[in-house]
Amino acid sequence: MSTVSNLAWRLFKHEARRGELTIILAAIILSVAAVLSLSLFSERLQGALTERSASFLAADRQLQARQPLNEKWLSAAREQSLATAQQVQLRSMVFGPREMSLTDLRAVNSDYPLKGNIIVADEPFGEERSVTGVPEPGQAWIDSRLFQLLEVSIGDDIEIGEATFTVSRVLSEIPDAGFSLFSTDPIVLIRQADLEEANITGPGSRVSYKAYFTGEASQLEAYYEWLRPQLNDEIHRWESVQDDQSPIGRSVARAGQYFLLASLLAIVLAAVSIAVAAQRYSHRHYDPVAIMKTLGASKKMIRKVYILQVMFIAILGIIIGIAAGMLIQQAVVSALADRVEVSLSVWHWRPVLIAVFTGVICAVLFSMYPLLRLFSVPPLRVLRRDLDSSLSSRTFQFAISGTAVFVLMWAYSQNLKISAILFVSGIVLVAALIGVTFGLIRLGRWLGSSKMGAWQLAWARIRRRAMDNSVQLISFSITIMLLLIVLVMRNDMIEQWQAQLPEGTPNYFMINITENDRDRVESHFADNDVQIERFYPVVRGRFVSVNGSQVNTEVTKEDDRDEDAEDSQDGLGREANLTWTNQLQKENEVVAGSWHGNNQADESQPYEVSVESEVADRLEIEMGDLLTFDIGSQMVEARVTSLRKVNWQTMQPNFFFILSPAAMTDFTPTYITSFYLPTAQKAELTKLLKPFPAVTLFDVDARINQLRGIVDQVSLAVEFILILVLVAGSLVLIAQVQASMDERQQELAILRTLGAKGRLIRSSVILEFVIIGVVAGFMAALANEFSLYLLQTQLFNMTPSIHFSYWLIAPVTGALVVGALGAIGCWRLLTLNTSDLLRKIM
Amino acid sequence: MIKTSQLTKLVSTNEGELEILKPISFEVKSGQTVAIVGASGSGKSTLLGLLAGLDQVSDGEIFLDGEPLHTMDEEERAQLRGAKVGFIFQSFMLVQSLTAIENVMLPAEIAGFSDAKKQAQNILQQVGLDHRAHHYPNQLSGGEQQRVAIARAFIGKPKILFADEPTGNLDAANSEKIEKLLFKLNKDLGTTLVLVTHDEKLAEHCERQFTMQAGTLSESKNSAPLKQDIA
Repeated sequence: MSTVSNLAWRLFKHEARRGELTIILAAIILSVAAVLSLSLFSERLQGALTERSASFLAADRQLQARQPLNEKWLSAAREQSLATAQQVQLRSMVFGPREMSLTDLRAVNSDYPLKGNIIVADEPFGEERSVTGVPEPGQAWIDSRLFQLLEVSIGDDIEIGEATFTVSRVLSEIPDAGFSLFSTDPIVLIRQADLEEANITGPGSRVSYKAYFTGEASQLEAYYEWLRPQLNDEIHRWESVQDDQSPIGRSVARAGQYFLLASLLAIVLAAVSIAVAAQRYSHRHYDPVAIMKTLGASKKMIRKVYILQVMFIAILGIIIGIAAGMLIQQAVVSALADRVEVSLSVWHWRPVLIAVFTGVICAVLFSMYPLLRLFSVPPLRVLRRDLDSSLSSRTFQFAISGTAVFVLMWAYSQNLKISAILFVSGIVLVAALIGVTFGLIRLGRWLGSSKMGAWQLAWARIRRRAMDNSVQLISFSITIMLLLIVLVMRNDMIEQWQAQLPEGTPNYFMINITENDRDRVESHFADNDVQIERFYPVVRGRFVSVNGSQVNTEVTKEDDRDEDAEDSQDGLGREANLTWTNQLQKENEVVAGSWHGNNQADESQPYEVSVESEVADRLEIEMGDLLTFDIGSQMVEARVTSLRKVNWQTMQPNFFFILSPAAMTDFTPTYITSFYLPTAQKAELTKLLKPFPAVTLFDVDARINQLRGIVDQVSLAVEFILILVLVAGSLVLIAQVQASMDERQQELAILRTLGAKGRLIRSSVILEFVIIGVVAGFMAALANEFSLYLLQTQLFNMTPSIHFSYWLIAPVTGALVVGALGAIGCWRLLTLNTSDLLRKIM
Repeated sequence: MIKTSQLTKLVSTNEGELEILKPISFEVKSGQTVAIVGASGSGKSTLLGLLAGLDQVSDGEIFLDGEPLHTMDEEERAQLRGAKVGFIFQSFMLVQSLTAIENVMLPAEIAGFSDAKKQAQNILQQVGLDHRAHHYPNQLSGGEQQRVAIARAFIGKPKILFADEPTGNLDAANSEKIEKLLFKLNKDLGTTLVLVTHDEKLAEHCERQFTMQAGTLSESKNSAPLKQDIA
C-alpha cells in the first residue's frame, strides 16, 4: 500500500474505532437502507399487484385485433420462450329450447387464461370457486344470467350458429371479462376449435381476436419491439397491465406513484443527512489538514487521503446499509405476511443497484463541497485557529447539492414531472427560509437586547449564528416538509380510495327496467328490505351532428363501446346512452358553464345538454355548440350549456350526455338502478328478480371485493412506507441536532466556565431549538401545501385541498421534537464536568 | 539560515489596508536559537507564519536556507517545509485520530521515508514516551502531548524549528521538562530554533532575543548575537 493509502486507511480505521465516523456512516447506512428497503418492498408489492392486475388482462400482455392474428407471430412468441393463449370474441345469439339471447361469446384455446382464474359456480348466482382448464369440446359454460334468460339448466343443450353445445357449468367470471354496464352481454365460454363448426365468424360478423402473452418483462419488451413494426394501429391494439385504466389499474398506478414519491423523499432525506454529516466531517478535519499541510503535505496528497477516506466510508456504509435494508424489508414483509401479498422473489437487482447508486452519488456529490472546503484550509490555521476554509461560496454549495438531488430524483424516478415538482417546491422553500432567517435575525436583535436570560441567550445565538442557523433551518424545514408530504398524501389518498367504495356500495346493477316495472321493482325490493338507489332513465340515441355539420356515424368496433366507467377512453360510440335529470350526479363536477338544473326551457331556445369534458375534448365539442341526436328517427337538438368532469372510478352509472328533462318528454325510457346486497345474502337474488324476467342483472360484487382488497392491501403498505420514512426523517433530525451540538460545545464550555448555571444553559439551548423547530415546522407546513397542490393536481389526479390543521400541528411537533432532541444533546454535554468539556473542544 | 529584507504584511480591513508588520530585516545564522517576545497582538505569530512559509508575504523578501520563500507558491512552500522545517505549537496540534507514534511518523510519511515507523520509535524513546506510543492524544497529559509534538518536529531532522509558545499550555514542572528537551534536541541535531514566547525564562535560554511591538521588530541589547557560531 502506498504512503497515502496507508495514511488514509489508518485515519479511517482509527476514526471508525473511536466512533468519529458514526454520524456520516449512519447517514450513508440510513440512505442506503431506506432506499433499499423502500424500493425493494415497493418492487415486491408492485410485483404482487401487477401480478394481480395481470389477472384482469389474463396475461402480462394482450394483443387485440379486428382480423385473425398471424400464426407466425404466435410461433415467434413461443420461440422466444413466451407463453401464449388465444381467444376469439364476438357478440352472438344463443338459442335455448324456448328463449334466445344476445351473448358475449368467448372461444378460447386450452392455454387460456395465462394469468388469473376462470370462476365457476354450481348453480346460478351460487357460491363461486376457481377452476383450471376450459370447457371440453362440445360443451359451454354460461353466465348465471343466461340460465334465467334462456330458461335452461346444467345439462341442457344450447345452439350457437350451426353447432349445439351442452351447458356443463355456471360461469361466474373470466379474468378479462371487462365491465361495461351498458353493453356487456352475458358471457358464454366455449373452445376455440368449436367455433369453426358454429360457423359464425363469416363476413359481416364483428369479431375480436386476442392473443395473450406472458414471460419475463425483458422478453416481452423484446418481442413487442420485434412485433411493433408489423402492427397496424387501425387493426391492432397492444395492451399491458400499465395500460389498465380500470379503477383497480388506476389505484395500483396511484399506489405505485406514491411509493415512488416516498422513495424519492427518502432519497432527499438521506441526501440531507449526508450533507449535514459531510459538513460536520469536513469541519472536524480542518485541523488535521492544516497540520498535514504545515508538515509539508501537498494539496494532491491531501486530496488523495481524504477522497480515499470518503471511499472507505462510502463502501462500508453501502455494505452495512444493504444488509440493514434487506433485514428491514424482510422483517416488514414477515410482519405483514398474512395481510399484504408480496412477490415471492426476494432478490431484485434494481433496488439494490438504486441503493448502491444512491449511496455513491450521495457520498460523492454531497461530500464534494465540504471536501473542497477542507482541501482549501490554509496551513496558517495551526497558528490562527479562527482561520476557516478559503472556499466559502454557499451558492456553489447549494448549486452542487441542488443538482445532485435533482439528478438523483430524475435518475431514480425517470419522471421529470415528479422530480421537477419536488425540486421546485424545495427551491421555493429554501428561498422563503433564507428570507425568514434574516427576518429572525432582525427580530432577535430586538428581542435579545434586554438583560441576559435564557430567552435572550437563545435569541443572541440565533442572531450570531445566522448563516449556520439558516442552513440548519433549511434542513429541518425540508425534513419536516418531506415527512408532511408523505403523511398528508397517504391520508388524502386513502381517504379518497375509501370514499370511492364506502360500506354499502351497490354491488348489483339492474338494467332494462321498463316504465311499467319501475314502481313494482321499487316496492318489491322494499318489501324484501333491499334499498334501491336512484333510477336513471336511458334511451339510445345516435349523435349525428354538431352545429348542423354531420359527424361520422359509421359504426366501428370501437364505437361499440359505451360510456360507463372502464372503457371511456376508447372512444365514444356514435350511438350513445342518453339520460336526463335535473340533479347533478355525485362525483360529477361542472367545469365550464352552469348545470341546467331546473331551468325551464324557453320554447324558442334549444334544450340543454351537459357533456363529459374528456369526450367533449375528443369530439371537439365546445360550450354553446348545438348537438343533434337521432332517437328512433326523431331528431333532438340540444345546446351544450355545461361540461362535466366525471370521476370514472366510482361504481355508479356515468354518462357522456345528460339532457334537461324537457328534451326527453316524448320518449319512453328504460331504467338503470343499483342496490347493495351483502354477499351472504346472494342466494336471495333469484327470489328478488323472479317477478321481473325482462330485467338484466349485473353482479359486480366480486369486482368490488377485489378492488377493496387491493385498496386495503395498498393502504397497509402505504402505512408501512409512511412509518419507514418517518423513522428515516427522525434519524435525519437527530443527525442534524447532533451536528449542531458540536458547534455549540465551545460556547457551552465557555458559559459553563464563566459560571452559568446548567439550567440557564439548558433552557437557552432548548429555547433556541424550540424557536428553530416552530419556524421550521411552520415553513414546512406552508411549503407542504404548495408541493401537495402540485403533486395532487399534476401527478395524482386528485382533488387538492388545504390542510389547515397541519399549520398548527407542524410547528408544534417541530418545536417538541427539535426542542427535545436539543435537550437530549445538551443534557449529554452538560453531564460532562467543565474540565472535560474544555478538553473536548481543545 | 533565515534572512529577511523589508518584510511586510498587510491585511485588508473594512477601513482599508492595515500594515500589521512594518518592514522587517534581520538574519539568523544556522544553528542559532532565537526568541521573539512581545505582547499579544504585536505581530509575533504573523512573523512566525511568514518565516515558516505558512503565509504569503505582502512585500519584501525571505530566504530560508537560501531558498526564496517570497517567490514560492503554496505547493512549493509546503515542499520546503516538509524538507527543512519542524514545528511545535502551544496547543500541540496533534491529529486526534492518530496514535502518538502515528503522529510522530506523519512528517516522515509525508516526505516518503520508508523507515518512518523505526525513526518514530527511536525518537519517541528519546523523548521518553515509547511506552505511550499507541495512545491517542486525548489519553495523554499536556506535557506528554507536547513531547509527542517535539518528537514529531524532530523526526525529519529539520534544519529549522519554529516553536509557537511551546510551554504556553503547560504547568511549571512540565514547562521545564519541555524546555530542557527542546534545547537538548536542538543542540544534538544542530537545528536552528526560532521560538515565539511570552515566557521570559524560556526566551533567556535563547542566544538572541527579539521584541515585537506594534509590528516592529527590535533585537534586545543583551542578546548574544551572530558572532557565536554554534553550528
